Amino acid sequence: MTRYVIGRLGGVVVILLAVCLFTYLIFFKLSPDPAVMICGKTCTPDRIDSIRTVLGLNQPLLTQFWEFLQGIVAGRDYGTAHCSAPCLGYSFQTNESVWTMITARLPVSITVAVGAAILWLLAGVAGGLISAVRQGTWWDRSAMALALTGVSVPNYVLALVLQYLLVVKLQVLPFPSAPAFSDNPGLWFESYLMPWTVLAIGYACLYARLTRANVIDTLAENFVRTARAKGLQRSLILRRHALRPALTPITTIFGMDFAGLLGGALITETVFGLNGIGKLAADSIAKNDQPVIMAVTLLAAFFVVIGNVVVDLVYTALDPRVRITSA
Amino acid sequence: MSETLFVVEDLTVTLPTSRGPVDVVKNASFTVDRDDTVGIVGESGSGKSMTSLAVLGLLPGGGRTTGSIRLNGQELLGRSEAELRSIRGNAISMVFQDPLSSLNPYYTVGLQIEEGYRAHRGGTRREARKVAIEALERVQIPDPARRIDHYPHQFSGGQRQRIMIAMALCCSPELLIADEPTTALDVTVQAQILALLAELQAETGTGLIFITHDLAVISSIAQRVLVMCKGDPVEYGTAEQIFSDPQHEYTRALLDAVPRIDDLIPAAEEVAG
Repeated sequence: MTRYVIGRLGGVVVILLAVCLFTYLIFFKLSPDPAVMICGKTCTPDRIDSIRTVLGLNQPLLTQFWEFLQGIVAGRDYGTAHCSAPCLGYSFQTNESVWTMITARLPVSITVAVGAAILWLLAGVAGGLISAVRQGTWWDRSAMALALTGVSVPNYVLALVLQYLLVVKLQVLPFPSAPAFSDNPGLWFESYLMPWTVLAIGYACLYARLTRANVIDTLAENFVRTARAKGLQRSLILRRHALRPALTPITTIFGMDFAGLLGGALITETVFGLNGIGKLAADSIAKNDQPVIMAVTLLAAFFVVIGNVVVDLVYTALDPRVRITSA
Repeated sequence: MSETLFVVEDLTVTLPTSRGPVDVVKNASFTVDRDDTVGIVGESGSGKSMTSLAVLGLLPGGGRTTGSIRLNGQELLGRSEAELRSIRGNAISMVFQDPLSSLNPYYTVGLQIEEGYRAHRGGTRREARKVAIEALERVQIPDPARRIDHYPHQFSGGQRQRIMIAMALCCSPELLIADEPTTALDVTVQAQILALLAELQAETGTGLIFITHDLAVISSIAQRVLVMCKGDPVEYGTAEQIFSDPQHEYTRALLDAVPRIDDLIPAAEEVAG
């Protein structure tokens, strides 16, 4: 088991290095010259040269990449300024440390992701389960029709409609402002309620359909027939024999979806003006702020890759057939 | 003649299909005595499995049953779900065809035996565990106290079917229905499972309904045989009578389909010549 985990983590490092390299090549080599961007409108060739020297842009590509990696692990120096590890450079737009920008915004994205995940798991799994048990009934049909609609509505439309209705028209919720929880828990909750809901609806609909299909498939399994032939209560059969096999595959999907959201809910954060990683990504792309783009891409990749490993480990705990025997 | 345990009379099973209701079993009748084995034979789709599912009220959605099914003189048809539940796995147990898919891969075999026992007998987990270990021992799983905590995929095909049998017998049922219990197994394992069933039956006096398409198996285990064809019970009699003097042409066709060693020898010689 320990050996397996170490092996997987080794894989993670390799994948992240590859992501680093590709992102680096794409954003630093195919985009406009950073030195020109930083220099701005009133620029002299001398100044461009000195910026190039400070950023190391006149060095060979591999050296630059190596220094970038070194910055993440051990920190680096830009001219006289030292950028301590983990150093992701400075924003071309604001000159802020990218690491500081990320750490300031990450809590917002985590809050959005965790809240939405709780909502969609509860609603999606419960809805799908009830539908499966009452297959073919009025409840099932309407729930599934609703779920199909929910999956099809783009969430920026949903966000704008909800915002118009709840904030502008009915004025039951404040405009989302991402306050700190400790300052005003009530406002915190009200602020996040809409982003959570908007983000959760699409996923909940998807999960409801998945859960329903999985539970129905599982109830048709031979081992469920065996359980019935043993004289077990219907509720026990459902709880023990149907639920676990039906929900185990959903953990995989959930892990990936959740990990993806930790890297920023781009649309939801942008629409509601929440200063999370998603909004940071959108802003930095709009302004071609390369170090920031690079950092949010890496962060998203990091979460997805780690999410994958966590999912695999959880899976081994849930399904005895894939349990790892330490070799 | 020993006492009558189980009677099926004029059993008709109707299943809904897209082309309207279809009678998958038509007026089947047979009797199982205590200590007795009745074989139900027929090809796929002859209604033999539906007969057994109807007995426990486990027909797939919308299936309807008419006629009479009596255990110790008590009518089972028309009982409530709760009453049937108290009979399933308790007075009447079932062993299914494919032991791998019939066991839940997510739980240890111990838990799967214990839950059946506890559903009918109650008691603590510890008591049920003791019963489960004994049950595994009875079906000759080596080292049962350790193996009880293993998962179905950690056993061989034959062992899995032994576990299914242990599960079915843990509440000492009066009647055991074995639906093609050896079909998914290879021949040597088949013989072992048959021997085990015969041994356990002799020990406990359980009535046995043995469903198969394999006449060779039936001839070695059953006292009485019901032959079914496309839902019709075409012939019913003692095993001796069915095998030595089949009345119905379908039974004769089935018997002719069994490869015999003396049929094969001349053919082999022809090839050699």
